[in-house]
Amino acid sequence: MTSHQSTDTLTEDGPNPAISLHGLTKRYGRHVAVDNLTTDVPAGAVAGFVGPNGSGKTTTMAMLLGLVAPTEGAGTVLGHSIEDPGSYLHRVGALIEGPAFYPGLTGAQNLAVVAAAAGHDPARIAELLELVGLAARGDDRFRAYSLGMKQRLGIAAALLGDPDLLILDEPTNGLDPAGVHEMRELIGRLADGERTVFVSSHVLAELEQVCNWLVVIDHGALVFQGPASELMDHSATTVIAVPERDADLPRLEHLLNAAGHDSEVADGELVIAVKGTEPRRLAAEINRTASADGIVLVELSPTKTTLEDRYLTMVNGGDR
Amino acid sequence: MTRTFQAELLKLRRRRILIAAAVGALAFAVITTIAVLLSADSSGRPQGRGGGGATLESLGGPGGAVEAFSTGASFVGILVLVLFIANFAGEFSQGTFRTLLMRQPRRMGLLAGKMAALLVFAAAVLALAAILSVVASLAFAPTQDISTSSWLTLDGLGEAATSYGIALLGVTAWASLGMALAVLVRSAPIALGIGIAWSGPIEHLTVDFWSSAVQWFPGLLLEALAVGGTADVSFSHAVVVLAFYVIAAAAAAALTFQRRDLTA
Repeated sequence: MTSHQSTDTLTEDGPNPAISLHGLTKRYGRHVAVDNLTTDVPAGAVAGFVGPNGSGKTTTMAMLLGLVAPTEGAGTVLGHSIEDPGSYLHRVGALIEGPAFYPGLTGAQNLAVVAAAAGHDPARIAELLELVGLAARGDDRFRAYSLGMKQRLGIAAALLGDPDLLILDEPTNGLDPAGVHEMRELIGRLADGERTVFVSSHVLAELEQVCNWLVVIDHGALVFQGPASELMDHSATTVIAVPERDADLPRLEHLLNAAGHDSEVADGELVIAVKGTEPRRLAAEINRTASADGIVLVELSPTKTTLEDRYLTMVNGGDR
Repeated sequence: MTRTFQAELLKLRRRRILIAAAVGALAFAVITTIAVLLSADSSGRPQGRGGGGATLESLGGPGGAVEAFSTGASFVGILVLVLFIANFAGEFSQGTFRTLLMRQPRRMGLLAGKMAALLVFAAAVLALAAILSVVASLAFAPTQDISTSSWLTLDGLGEAATSYGIALLGVTAWASLGMALAVLVRSAPIALGIGIAWSGPIEHLTVDFWSSAVQWFPGLLLEALAVGGTADVSFSHAVVVLAFYVIAAAAAAALTFQRRDLTA
């Protein structure tokens, strides 16, 4: 993949964001599904929309697609107000809440029905079935498809009008690991630098390899938006040191803090923050300090928190 | 609306659907013709269009060719209600309304286009059933010594056209009520339960203690419409009140469909 824009060229302040939301809110009675969401998705980005189950991802996407009316707030899609979805939906392809087609019709017939309803050229059907790997099964009934095939047909339908914006809601939901891998590859192929892809998942790991932009929400509210690399940059690197004797832990902590490091004991090990130096260089310094004071270390390892760790910290309240 | 109409026709033009419709029309024609012609005798008086009690005399008149069709058509109302409820509620339960609305967000157009396509298809199937019914009647008439000389006259064609028009009005009304129920309830089993219970036992039990119900309840009015009017309900009264029901049902469905979030 990676034919899409690099992270360097993406900014939320770009001239024409593909999606721009301002205080978007959806309430169902007293339940707030989407809470004052303000975010931009740059044009040309492959944007991951990440949050736990029930965090408001699908409701947000449904509002972008005119299926659900916002309670408050405003937004634009491809420069048009979401109050008038008819003005932009012909340029949007979407798969939301799972693939929904007529079970008695074949895959190709279903695409023909969708193309007719949308006014798209049905001549692309064969090409799209080929693209999503369903060329050999296009004449089979939809009800005979596996979940992975249904998802791929949903993506083919979304691509019928050669859209400028693709909105995909949990396209990997229910797929086995091989299916997830295939879907990720497919999403990567669909991002061609011109087209914006806005894809949701509750598992960041499924998206981090294909997305160059991330919007993270929790309980309907934004917790992060920006280049995926920025989220990674925020991830902390630490060095873990474990002395041979537990009794040496507080002594080593005192020695390192006295030397200007930021260390603390946690779960029977000393966690030292890496600040302005190479992790390996810090490890060597820790080793020298411990050794000089007669402390034997049985473990000394630099560690970097993963994007997933960072995400879990955010959605568990650490950054709210 | 035009695009949705074409999309719906694509679904209906499948060979499986066309064969099923043709077989249904043929079965309808044969069964109703045999039942009406074999049960006709020389006694009794005609009860009106499709009103049962066909006599050899009425069958020998200009409307004899479509007597079986009219009789049969008066019984298909519930079937039309069920089919339209199943079709529209199925769009909700399968999530296909969502799929279509993401491409064609003008909800009124979607609803109207789909309804129009289904009614065109129903009209075509009804026309086929009428033609097959006339053919079957022509084939079976000699077995009952029924004269067919007046069937293929201008009067006979007029009677046929009138019978077809009345049947189509009934189908349109049943279809509109079915569509509205499905859109309002969004669940086929619940909509079917309400529709069948109301037009069946509830209306017929009510009329036992409130005789004026025949003039106001939709199911009873549709029964009167199917036979061209009865002693209690004139044809024109049935048409006017049913038109109100159809307009009200369509408006309620349209308003609900337009305003409601589509989360299924």
